[in-house]
Amino acid sequence: MVYLRIVLQYAAVLAVALSLNFALPRIAPGEPIDFLLPEDVLVNMSPEEHAQVMREFGLDLPLGTQFSNYVSGVFSGDLGTSVSFGMPVWDVVLSRLPWTLLLMGWALAISAIVGSVLGVAAARLKGGKLDIMSLVGVMFLGSAPPFWIAMLLITLFSAHLGWLPSYGAAPLTAMPGSWEWVSGVALRLIMPVTALTLFQTANILLTARSAMTIALGQDYITFARAKGASENRIFTAHAFRNACLPIYTNIMIGIGNLVGGALVIETVFSYPGIGSLIVEGVGARDYNLLQGVFLLATMSVVLANLAADLGYPLLDPRARQA
Amino acid sequence: MSDTVLSNRIYGAPGRRALTAEQVIRLTGLTILTLMIGAAVFGPMLLAYGAQEIVCQPFATPSAAHLLGCNDAGQDILAGVLTGGRISLSVGVVTALLTTALATLVAVGAAYYGGLTDQLAMRVVDVIMSLPFLPLVIVLGTFLGASLPVQVLVITLVMWAQPVRELRSQVLSLRSAEHVEAARAMGGGFAWIARKHLLPDLAPLIVPQFVRVAHNAILIESSLSFLGLGDPLRKSWGTILFHANARTAFLTESWVWWILPPGIAIALAVVAFALMGYGIGDDKTPRADRNARALDDVEKEPSDGILSLQHVSIAYRTGQGTVPAVRDVSLELRQGELLGLVGESGSGKSTLGMSLLRLLPPAGKITGGGVWLDGENLFSAEDARLRALRGSRIALVPQSAMNALNPVRTIGWQISEALRIHGRQGGAAQVARLLQLVQIDPSRAAAFPHELSGGMRQRVVIAIALANDPKVLIADEPTTGLDVLVQAEIMALFAHLRTRLGIAIVFITHDLPLIAAEADRLAIMEKGVIVETGTPGDLERNASHPHTRALFASVPRLHAPRIWQRGPHAGDRILTLENVSMSFNAGFAARLRGARPVHALRGVSVELRRCEVLGLVGGSGSGKTTVARLSLGQYAPDNGAVLFDGKPLHRASGTPVHMIFQDPYQSLSARMSVMEAVAEPLRIAGRTCKPADIATALRDVHLPDDNVFLNRRVGSLSGGQRQRVAFARARITRPQVILADEPTSMLDQSIRLEILNLLEDMRRDLGTSILFITHDIVLARHFCDRVAVMRDGVVVELGQADDVALNPVHEYTSRLIEAVEHPSSARIS
Repeated sequence: MVYLRIVLQYAAVLAVALSLNFALPRIAPGEPIDFLLPEDVLVNMSPEEHAQVMREFGLDLPLGTQFSNYVSGVFSGDLGTSVSFGMPVWDVVLSRLPWTLLLMGWALAISAIVGSVLGVAAARLKGGKLDIMSLVGVMFLGSAPPFWIAMLLITLFSAHLGWLPSYGAAPLTAMPGSWEWVSGVALRLIMPVTALTLFQTANILLTARSAMTIALGQDYITFARAKGASENRIFTAHAFRNACLPIYTNIMIGIGNLVGGALVIETVFSYPGIGSLIVEGVGARDYNLLQGVFLLATMSVVLANLAADLGYPLLDPRARQA
Repeated sequence: MSDTVLSNRIYGAPGRRALTAEQVIRLTGLTILTLMIGAAVFGPMLLAYGAQEIVCQPFATPSAAHLLGCNDAGQDILAGVLTGGRISLSVGVVTALLTTALATLVAVGAAYYGGLTDQLAMRVVDVIMSLPFLPLVIVLGTFLGASLPVQVLVITLVMWAQPVRELRSQVLSLRSAEHVEAARAMGGGFAWIARKHLLPDLAPLIVPQFVRVAHNAILIESSLSFLGLGDPLRKSWGTILFHANARTAFLTESWVWWILPPGIAIALAVVAFALMGYGIGDDKTPRADRNARALDDVEKEPSDGILSLQHVSIAYRTGQGTVPAVRDVSLELRQGELLGLVGESGSGKSTLGMSLLRLLPPAGKITGGGVWLDGENLFSAEDARLRALRGSRIALVPQSAMNALNPVRTIGWQISEALRIHGRQGGAAQVARLLQLVQIDPSRAAAFPHELSGGMRQRVVIAIALANDPKVLIADEPTTGLDVLVQAEIMALFAHLRTRLGIAIVFITHDLPLIAAEADRLAIMEKGVIVETGTPGDLERNASHPHTRALFASVPRLHAPRIWQRGPHAGDRILTLENVSMSFNAGFAARLRGARPVHALRGVSVELRRCEVLGLVGGSGSGKTTVARLSLGQYAPDNGAVLFDGKPLHRASGTPVHMIFQDPYQSLSARMSVMEAVAEPLRIAGRTCKPADIATALRDVHLPDDNVFLNRRVGSLSGGQRQRVAFARARITRPQVILADEPTSMLDQSIRLEILNLLEDMRRDLGTSILFITHDIVLARHFCDRVAVMRDGVVVELGQADDVALNPVHEYTSRLIEAVEHPSSARIS
């Protein structure tokens, strides 16, 4: 029953994203066709050509039919054609997706582990000068825009020290799969992942610290002391086990933020993921591409959240029923 | 952390003394932000060039004329950064204002109306929160065109959802707060309740939301502008970085003056907001009890008890200095004895009890004395030794057993842990044995605490306390908050375990009748001192201390002559419930939430006559409160009719029915002055309220009516005074019917009868009829003319109060009486 509700919930999110995508070109200023063809083509079109294009794209059909055509198109993998690439949007997106997943996967894993470990440690030192100082430091890190950190990283490690390549995702000269290629990919991951991770780590650290503090204030902690439990046992078996719930939720909410972060970071490093794709789409006014990427980003966030929600009852027995 | 900082964190900074660390942090944030706003507003006026003017060579390095050099177009970067601040900061602040206003409106509306509205709003919030917001903002921004209003609009659209979720849960808890319930019961509508009750309480929670949105909005604006989606005609910090990035400034020396300043500006502004929100709205009260520090050992006076308290003193640090809570208490507990430690709120009984395990709240400190368990001083024991004794030789059954169990561990795990900590076998067999000891089916070992009833959870806690066969058990209000019949079950379990295991028990309680029926000896505590000890019988007959006498005198006895004598009345019916049925969670919204329907009332018929007191008696879940809500017109019954004076009850009919709530600490808003609280029902009804009427109402309930008292905050009054204020505001409406929902159960025993006398005064003076809701059938016998006994939504017995209480017919009535008279004879159901 719980699971059914979660799945329904995300189906609704997807429906909203689809409707939004469908509605945007139709409610934005101008005609939908303006968003489908390059400007120079549009200007030089005769009324007959215009009508023919309208027919070709099915824009002369009733709205309801247009919507059902659009939805069935999306589900059969047809996201339209990208004007700037001259290829189906789906193919363009698929070629870029692995890089973004690679970037986000590392950032997610590192920030989750480092953030929770440091946050739990901070809760242990809570109230001390060290704790407050580190908190303020972490706040500053979490407040600096990640793309700015990325620019500074390039200045330091590429321009001045020359240690790391600042451009692209893989060496252009190496054979994919060769050792040189793999090490090149790894080197090019370091700076984007760092920029993305710093921001997210700060966030998770603060959550972990406050979750531990709240857990340590509960009545069951007093009772555990009255049982004769040692402070170590209280910290791990009782407080941390309960603090896991908000930490987990926060890490999962962070996936959405990471998608946003990756988008900007990729631009700085010219990293060929879907983030730089969306920016290229904006520059080229390639609306089909934008919509496709947005839909895909939504779908991945929805899938990640769905997995997170389905996993939550494993951690929290109270979420298993009702 | 130093002691002052610690106590300030708990009690708030006293007066004009040094600021707390958190206040310093928040002030720092405010200062940074003020300086930045000042620089953005006035800075550009002081410069010779505008941000868009071409005034120097492209890529010029810093010089006296251009402190931060120039960009690729030959524009002064300092002018750009200062002017950019105007855009970036105002986008942040305007967005935050819009977002918080929208979120507050939606949250208050959703939580207030509840049901389907709430479900719908929250599903929309869920959907928006699941969309990746930066891609969404980019797509929206691209389609709608890049301009400042679009940026603000789009950021608002994606940001309002999260504050709604957080504020709504706060509004929900506020809405069910009793002072809001009370305002609704007086007929207050959405506008009144939102304005007078919800928003003032919500204001401190809105601030951190505002701060967080502003913080995020500045970051999003900078990201958008950085991606080239900012307003092309205006400079913001993000656009400066966009241009710097486009020109790969980070690969040249110009990064120092081109990239660093706008980035630092963004980070500073965001940090300023983060600092301002630091610690606001956090749960800062460390409630868990810490290990009190070991004292020096002191000489033990000879004694024969298993547990011997000698000259124990405890104090609390507060903002006003140290306040003693327990003063020089000495007490003996003998082998196998059940000792009742009885006191009213604030008497220090729980503090004393917890100190026996050296578990005190962080502000508490043992200041002297010693506690010897079998000759070993617990106050001077090393921490490791103390841990070895806790739970094995001396065990605790804590207050609020509901929260004493870890919610994410099975009860089997928690019982097993108690054994394993002290190096014993904690296998399934041992766990099963302990569960059987407290009469729980061993197969429930795999259950989690939330799957058990309140009584079962309390029994699990007792099983844990008994796991290692302790010599002494400290039970701190172990029955408080439980249903009457469950209280009796727990009492019976204690009595049974004591005879079977020979444990000595210190039973801390405010409930004198409950413990007097069972204890071997009572120790009466008042203001930190034990004023008298003795057997219950001795104390009842010849107490020497006036407090003890007052306590016993205030307990109504089942077989004593009636306390309130009234002549017979033959009034006509004023309030009638005809065959009323009512169920909850049967609607669509509830099913969406996955809630199970509850049949609160099934075919209930009762009638209240003029000038009569009708008692409604039953345990929790019997449906008595639902009857009250129906009589207020708050719900419409599913079936049957609620008639007032022969006509269907309408809320619009003025205030003929007034409700008095159980807990005066919650049913009056602590923020209001006495005058506002008393006048509230008249103000809601839109009637004029003369000061003389308020004064009269206050005199009638024996409260002062001078201006000083009228202007005091309700929050500064004692529980008894608050309940009197609640009565004054009932009187001022001259109600025809009063619904009194356990009006004395949260008050100290010694003032209960006085408070009931006020209710009786009102009945006599104004001819008011009273529907008196209680779980205490003995009290109902004295105070009510007739009594209806309810169980599971059905009236099982109805008759004259004396008949029902003295010669009960229904088996459930007899059990209610037994639960009060002989708690330990209860059987576990």
